[in-house]
Amino acid sequence: MSILQANLVLTFKRLLRLPGFWVPTILFPAMLYAFFGAQTAGIGPAANYAVASFAVYAVLGVAFFQFGVSIAEDRQSAFAVWQRSLPARPFASWAARLCAALVFAVAAVALVLVTARLVGGLRMEPGTQARLLATCLFLAIPATFMGTALGYLASRHSVVAVANLIFLPLAYLGGLWVPPPALPSQINTISQWTPTRHMGEVAWATVAGRLPPQTSVMALLTFTIAFIALTWLAYRRDRRSRFG
Amino acid sequence: MDATTSRTAMVPAINARDLGKRFGAIEALADLSLELRRGEALGLIGTNGAGKTTALTLLQGLRRADTGNAEIFGHPAGSVEARRHIGITPQNADFPEQMSPREVLTYAAAHFDRPKPVDELVAAFGLERLIDRRMGGFSGGELRRVALALAFVGNPELVFADEPTAGLDTGGQDMFKAYARSYVDNGGSLLLTSHHWDEIEHICDRIVMIDRGRRLLEGTLDDIRHKAGRNRISFTVPAKASLPPWAREHFQRSGNRWSAISAESDALARRLIADLPALQELHIEPLDLKETVAQMQMERTI
Repeated sequence: MSILQANLVLTFKRLLRLPGFWVPTILFPAMLYAFFGAQTAGIGPAANYAVASFAVYAVLGVAFFQFGVSIAEDRQSAFAVWQRSLPARPFASWAARLCAALVFAVAAVALVLVTARLVGGLRMEPGTQARLLATCLFLAIPATFMGTALGYLASRHSVVAVANLIFLPLAYLGGLWVPPPALPSQINTISQWTPTRHMGEVAWATVAGRLPPQTSVMALLTFTIAFIALTWLAYRRDRRSRFG
Repeated sequence: MDATTSRTAMVPAINARDLGKRFGAIEALADLSLELRRGEALGLIGTNGAGKTTALTLLQGLRRADTGNAEIFGHPAGSVEARRHIGITPQNADFPEQMSPREVLTYAAAHFDRPKPVDELVAAFGLERLIDRRMGGFSGGELRRVALALAFVGNPELVFADEPTAGLDTGGQDMFKAYARSYVDNGGSLLLTSHHWDEIEHICDRIVMIDRGRRLLEGTLDDIRHKAGRNRISFTVPAKASLPPWAREHFQRSGNRWSAISAESDALARRLIADLPALQELHIEPLDLKETVAQMQMERTI
């Protein structure tokens, strides 16, 4: 077994045996869609909008919980410190973590699509579904760095609470639960400054067959760079305190 | 043996020079130099906070030294090349609860070229009952056994064992002692810290004692005993027999046995034989490590 394979096996087994991880990340987006999004299924574009929103919500959940929570927990775990004594560069464990995140993100988005079809009777072209899935993988990039920054900033004891405190308001503010036009005007103004709003805009454009708004792409690029910088600073601070 | 192989064989397992480490205002380690030869077991002893774990983490490359440098088989401590040669028992065995020992051992084994078969370690550390169970419900002692097996799974040339038997039952302690000694006898190198000094005595060829980050004492057990220059002299007497006054001053009673720690045990023995006809079971024996160090500390010779 190669080092990468060993890391993949360890990562997937740990996550799959942890219902506290996969229930909220894979099942909740589909469940919330069934409760709140499926009612729009017969309303033409609104139906596609709801599916795209909950797909973005699913990606965000994986990023926050797969990266944010697991990194924060690993940072203070003696097992993770022991792993550093093994003769491998960090690439393998990062690759395994990323691979697991992609698989869980695809599974969560696919489950939203399946639920939309079964519960809401949604009819979305297979090509549109594939484009939405691809868009979600693209949106996973800023979301991943958001989660990673959180993982290096929060402690293992506080991270779940902090993740939920950021994740849920961001989903609401970004218009993933309530369409932006239906948000109170002040909230809608704030919404335009959140990464989730721009993630939503890109996903909504995808299911509407439009090109993503350039402002949203630029905003996401800026957010990604900012989160990378934040991750780097937090990572260096963490390394200095633990291994310096 | 070619020149390169010969040179490699002469490189010590650990070569550390003037290691120093501060944590804020606290000097955790000061100018510690250590050499561990191949096929040797070195015991690092000291009180809590003496700097043992700091020394180990610097040698393992898990922390950076502020001063000095350390090499493992000629490679900088912490480099991937150095890590290929080492096995570590984690001091806190907080393994993923969702995994079984076999899964974690298999994971670790994948990082090494010639790992040990997992089943060999299962037998060596008494893991038969535990090997395929998830570790969530394991006791501290059971987790400790897994930690021991992990140190050896890569078939490393050097093992760092940081208080490896803390929380382990006596059976487990004996298993570790036997396995570790056999590992060293077969050419492995071992750096061991432990508060069980009998374990250090049993396994280690050489001992380094540190206190507040500084080396206090180094040598074989015999060297250290010789430096202390003390033996334990003990004897019994029948219940009705009385001790001469000078003997009462020198000896303390525990049960029916009288004993003393002395630098002049031979002279005391001769005097006892002369003055105490009822003398029985007279023993002169070397002090164990704990007594030796306690004696040296009391006499401020270290």
